[in-house]
Amino acid sequence: MEFDWNQQQRDFRATVRAFLDANLPDNWEEIAHGPGSSAQTTFSKQFCGALADAGLLVPHWPERWGGRDADPWSAFILAEEMWAAGEPRGGQYMNVNWIGPTFMRFGTEQQQERYIPPMARGETLWCQGFSEPESGSDLASLRTRADKTESGYRVNGQKIWTSYAGHADTCFLLCRTAPGKGGISILLVPMETPGITVRQIPSIIGEGDIHEVFFDDVEVADTALLGAEGQAWEIVRTALSLERVGIPRFALASRMLRRAVEVLKRDGRFTHGAIDQSAKAHAACEVARMYSYNIIDQRCHGQPPGPEASAARIATVNAERQVTEFVVEHLPEALAGADHMLMAHHQRAIVAGIASGAAEIQLNLIATELLQLPREPR
Amino acid sequence: MDFTPNEDQLALVSAIERIAAEFTAVPTDFHGFALEGEALARELENGQYFDIAAIPEMGPVSAATVVERLARLPCTTEVALSMLVRPQIDIELPRPFALVEHGRPGRFVAAAGTLIVIDGDDIGIAHPRPEDVEAVESLYAYPMGRLTGNPPVKALSGADADTVRTWLRIACAAEMAGLLQAAIDAAVEHLSVRKQFGRPLGTFQALRHRMAECAVLAGGVRLLALKAAWSGDSGEAALAALHAQDSASRVVYDVHQMMGAMGMTLEMPVHLWTYRAKALLSELGGKGAQARGVATFIFDAA
Ligand SMILES: Cc1cc2nc3c(=O)[nH]c(=O)nc-3n(C[C@H](O)[C@H](O)[C@H](O)COP(=O)(O)OP(=O)(O)OC[C@H]3O[C@@H](n4cnc5c(N)ncnc54)[C@H](O)[C@@H]3O)c2cc1C
Repeated sequence: MEFDWNQQQRDFRATVRAFLDANLPDNWEEIAHGPGSSAQTTFSKQFCGALADAGLLVPHWPERWGGRDADPWSAFILAEEMWAAGEPRGGQYMNVNWIGPTFMRFGTEQQQERYIPPMARGETLWCQGFSEPESGSDLASLRTRADKTESGYRVNGQKIWTSYAGHADTCFLLCRTAPGKGGISILLVPMETPGITVRQIPSIIGEGDIHEVFFDDVEVADTALLGAEGQAWEIVRTALSLERVGIPRFALASRMLRRAVEVLKRDGRFTHGAIDQSAKAHAACEVARMYSYNIIDQRCHGQPPGPEASAARIATVNAERQVTEFVVEHLPEALAGADHMLMAHHQRAIVAGIASGAAEIQLNLIATELLQLPREPR
Repeated sequence: MDFTPNEDQLALVSAIERIAAEFTAVPTDFHGFALEGEALARELENGQYFDIAAIPEMGPVSAATVVERLARLPCTTEVALSMLVRPQIDIELPRPFALVEHGRPGRFVAAAGTLIVIDGDDIGIAHPRPEDVEAVESLYAYPMGRLTGNPPVKALSGADADTVRTWLRIACAAEMAGLLQAAIDAAVEHLSVRKQFGRPLGTFQALRHRMAECAVLAGGVRLLALKAAWSGDSGEAALAALHAQDSASRVVYDVHQMMGAMGMTLEMPVHLWTYRAKALLSELGGKGAQARGVATFIFDAA
């Protein structure tokens, strides 16, 4: 057991930080409204290109695809530093974490050649078309249809909550080619295809994050099918297990907590209630960090994904909740214009328990798989 | 960063599992509060397990895993301070160790070979004679005792006192991690077999979610305790103790709710863990003091 970084990991983190220092503009905190905003998306294109040139966009990818086969720790250190800095990669973090690696595993040669190099150069944005108005947690009930045509598929239906859809080049789309869980397929659909309409949903979480996407008789070529028809569930499960931990939200939460504490200390306001609450919030952040590291460690040791990933998610939700509640109670002016980053963090933190699978679903998984409680009746 | 035990640590884990296996059952004739593990203490003594923190290949983090594991047993013996705090002061000091805070009764005080005496900001060491201590009856599921005489107390220097306070916090967190896990395990077993409305209670989501949340808390206590034992850092120790004491209130309440009236009987041994956790809740100044430790050591607050 060893709970510290080795020299190589320290050096890598220092390299990433130095890159951020050198490449984030002075007014970055005003731009960092959220990964989906126009300003941030525009900035991310240039930023990801520079990251790629520095060998820091996809270090954990194989050499064949522009990486250097770095271990999962490097990928996670990178993710922590980027998220803690306000995610200057914008929505491209999805390419790096799971979309690219999924294509390496399941894509045809043609799909790989078409889609992976632009990701490795930091030039392209994807969106994830999973959720629908009637299919949230119960994703397998999705209804967007892909009917077979002579040369491919005709897609009809609606997606919702689709992040980054307004700026995305391509959609990783789940749609139905037959009834049941085994009847869901993945199509890689260029967003400029006729028949696609994107509408941004005004929200409390910041500009450009969530959208509705409508598909009206959208014609898609055969070659857009990823894997086989009906293989979506398996591919998505593998894709998500590539990521396992998801966004290292605790990294930003922890940084924002310290920032708020510094302000309170400076103003002589860091007293009883604030001390108690900030200490608990810090504990929640560190618990989330340790759960997440534990999972990266399992991955390094080649262990299959287990229910611990759900525990890490819950710990992360706790951390986001405690930090935001602390700031609201003890530094309320931060959310009224006093601090761009604290505002942006507060806006985004609320999604921790919903986006990429609601917390209550994770609790069910923990109950069944970790605690081995008897399953709920269906 | 590597969460996987090395070979020596793995060997230790299996040795401790073998010992633990002998003590997993609650004697059927036991209907009390404090189930003392004299035989367990003898086995640990014979195997020289109390000194493992001082073995370089093991270190305090291994000792913390042992403390956590043994705290899950129904019987109790003084392990945590001996394994984690004693090596930081002087490994030759006589065991068992016990803590006397502000003259209040404490765990294992009546049989202690060495007392850590906390008075205000001062910490000292004493070796009580039998007539200096007495056992007291209590609701806590530990043998409790108090100091009645005035044995000489050797004051520790400021730096030594800080070290002791840090390791007391780590000991508290490691022990709490085991207690909470054992309490949760007991509740899970109950929820899996007890049926109401024609189905096991564990199929009701209201209960499943509460247990899952408790499990995340208890696992977090363990992770923070091990990290602090590994680093010996004062801030991490305060953080681990804070999370331990904070999580305990919630877990203790929820676990008892899961058990129904059965959980109130002495036949159902869940109180062995929950009422031990209650004893640890107020130690070392409780949550408020741990939070101040976090503020001092982590947030650099004056
Ligand atoms: C910021 C943000 C970005 C997102 N980005 C994307 C994206 O890019 N692509 C995409 O496809 N989706 C995206 N989503 C959607 C996300 O995956 C869903 O919101 C999520 O799966 C939950 O679905 P829902 O919102 O319909 O909630 P519902 O499923 O309606 O759930 C509402 C509440 O009921 C609870 N609940 C539901 N079922 C059960 C059950 N069986 N037992 C107990 N409780 C239950 C939930 O836990 C939740 O508390 C995004 C969401 C957010 C908030």
